[in-house]
Amino acid sequence: MLADANRSRAGAEQRVVDITVEDLSVNFGQTRNALSGVNLNVYQGEFVALIGASGCGKTTLLNVIAGLVPAAGGAVLVRNESPAAGRRDICYILARDALLPWRTVQRNVEYGLEVSGVPRAERERKAIAYIEKVGLRNYRDFYPSRLSQGMRQRASLARAFAVARSVYLMDEPFSALDSQTKLMLHDRLLDLWEMSGATVVFVTHDIGEAITLADRVVVMSKRGTGVADEISIDIPRPRSAEALQADSRYHDLYRRTWTSLKASTE
Amino acid sequence: MTDSVSSEAGLGEATRVSEGRSGSILAGRAIFLVAFLALWEGAVAYGFADPAFVSSPTSIVEAFWKLVGEGDLLPNLLTTLIEIAISFVLSVVLGIASALVLDRSDWLNRILSPFLTAFNSMPRIALGPLFILWFGIGMASKVVLAVSLGYFIMLLSTLGGLKNVDRDLLLMSRLFGASELRLFRDVRLPWALPSIFAGLRLTLIYCSAGAVIGEMIAAQSGLGLLVQSFSGRFDVASVMALILVVAFLVMALTALMDLVERQLLEWSKGSTDVPG
Repeated sequence: MLADANRSRAGAEQRVVDITVEDLSVNFGQTRNALSGVNLNVYQGEFVALIGASGCGKTTLLNVIAGLVPAAGGAVLVRNESPAAGRRDICYILARDALLPWRTVQRNVEYGLEVSGVPRAERERKAIAYIEKVGLRNYRDFYPSRLSQGMRQRASLARAFAVARSVYLMDEPFSALDSQTKLMLHDRLLDLWEMSGATVVFVTHDIGEAITLADRVVVMSKRGTGVADEISIDIPRPRSAEALQADSRYHDLYRRTWTSLKASTE
Repeated sequence: MTDSVSSEAGLGEATRVSEGRSGSILAGRAIFLVAFLALWEGAVAYGFADPAFVSSPTSIVEAFWKLVGEGDLLPNLLTTLIEIAISFVLSVVLGIASALVLDRSDWLNRILSPFLTAFNSMPRIALGPLFILWFGIGMASKVVLAVSLGYFIMLLSTLGGLKNVDRDLLLMSRLFGASELRLFRDVRLPWALPSIFAGLRLTLIYCSAGAVIGEMIAAQSGLGLLVQSFSGRFDVASVMALILVVAFLVMALTALMDLVERQLLEWSKGSTDVPG
C-alpha cells in the first residue's frame, strides 16, 4: 500500500523506494520529542541531502535509518527491512574519518572488505583500485597520522565505497575541511557515487554542498516535525564542484534553498 | 595534491633532524657519566668523601669481580632472575586477563573496584614478612610479593587502555558489521597496546623490586640475600655492585621490550597533525 502511494507520487516513472520513513517519532529521555511526524521517501539510486538548522534532528533521522537510534513511533524501512546497525547492505560514513591509526591507508581501506568477508587477494586488489580512485596511490603505505585531514577523509571514502553497498548514509563527512579541500572531495564523492549507483542520504548544514551533490535537497523544520521543504536539484550530471561555483543555476538554487532554510527556522 | 607532497617532504626533513641529534645525545650521556664517576672517584681520593660510606667507582668494580670470582654472584643472580621471570609472567597474564574481564563486565567492575583499590593501597612491602610466614622462605614468597605489586600495575594500565578506546572506531566497525571478536582483535586490543607496553615496563621494575626486597626479608639465596648480608658487614662497595647488577638486568630486559614495542607500535611514531 505504501509502495503504491510512493509510486503515484513519483509520477509516470516506475521508481523503487529504497528508504521509507512514515510518521516517525523519536524521543530523547522521557519528555523531549526529538522528532515527530516525520515522513520521507528516498528512491533507489537517489542522492538526498538533508539540511536544517542545528537541533532540527537531521542527524537523529539519519541515525534512525542506520539503526543506531530506536524509533518511538511510526515505521522506517530500508530496502523493505527494519533498520539495524551492521546490516551488510548499508554503509555509514561518520563525521570523523575513523581510520584505524595502526593501519596504513591500504590496510584501512581493506578493513571494510575484511569485515565484509572478502577474500584476501580480492580485497587487496579492490583496495588498490579504490585508493587510486581517491588519488592516494602514493600514500598507500602511510599511517593516518601522517596524512592531512582531507587525505584521511578520502581514505575513509575509499574504504566505504570499496565495500559496494546499496545504501550510503553520511553524517557531515566534510564539515571539518576547508572550502578548497571540500570542493575536491565533492568531486571524488560524486565519482565514487556515480560508479556505484547507490542510494545516498547525506546530512549537512552547508547549502552549497547539498546543491553540488544531491538530486534532491530536503529542508528539515527546526521544530523537529520533519520535512519543511524539498528542492529538486535539476543540474545535469556529471557535475564538477568547481565549475558549479560559476553556474547561475547553482546560485539560483542556493538562494531558493537559503530562503527555505531561513523560513524553516522561524 | 601538490601541497600534500610538499608536507610529506617537510616531515622527512623533520625526522632527519632528530636523527642527526641522536649522535650528540649519546656523546652528552657519555660525558655526563664520565664526569660523574670522575667527581666521585676524585672526591674519595682527595678526602672530601668517606669511602666507608660512599665507596668509590673503582672499589665497586673490584667488589664486583670478587663476587664473580668467588662464585657467589651467579647462583644468587639465577635465583633472583627466576623469581622475576615467574612473577613477571604471572602478573602480565593475570593482569591482562582480569582487565579483559573487568572491561567486558561493568557489573563485576563496579562490585570489585573498591576491593581492588583497597588492596592496591596497602603497602605490599610491609606484607612481606607475612608472605614469608605463609609461603616459606623459598622462592614462592618472593614471587607472591612481586606479583602483588606487578599484577595491579598490569591490570590498571591495561584496563585504562581498554576503557578509553575511541568510540568512533568502535562505531565505524560495528556499522560495517564487525563481530565482537573482531572489535576486540582489530580495535580494542591495538588501541590498548601502548598502555599495555607502558604497564609491562613498570611491572618489570616492580617485580624486580618485589623479588629483591622479599629476599632481603628472609631467603635461602638471591641477590637480596647478598645485599642484606653485605649491608650487615658495612661492605658498601659490594652492596652497590649488587644494586647495579639488578639495575643493569632490568635495563637490559626493558631494552628488549622497547625493541618489541618499536616493531608493534611503528604506527604511533612520528605522529604529526598535518593541518588542512
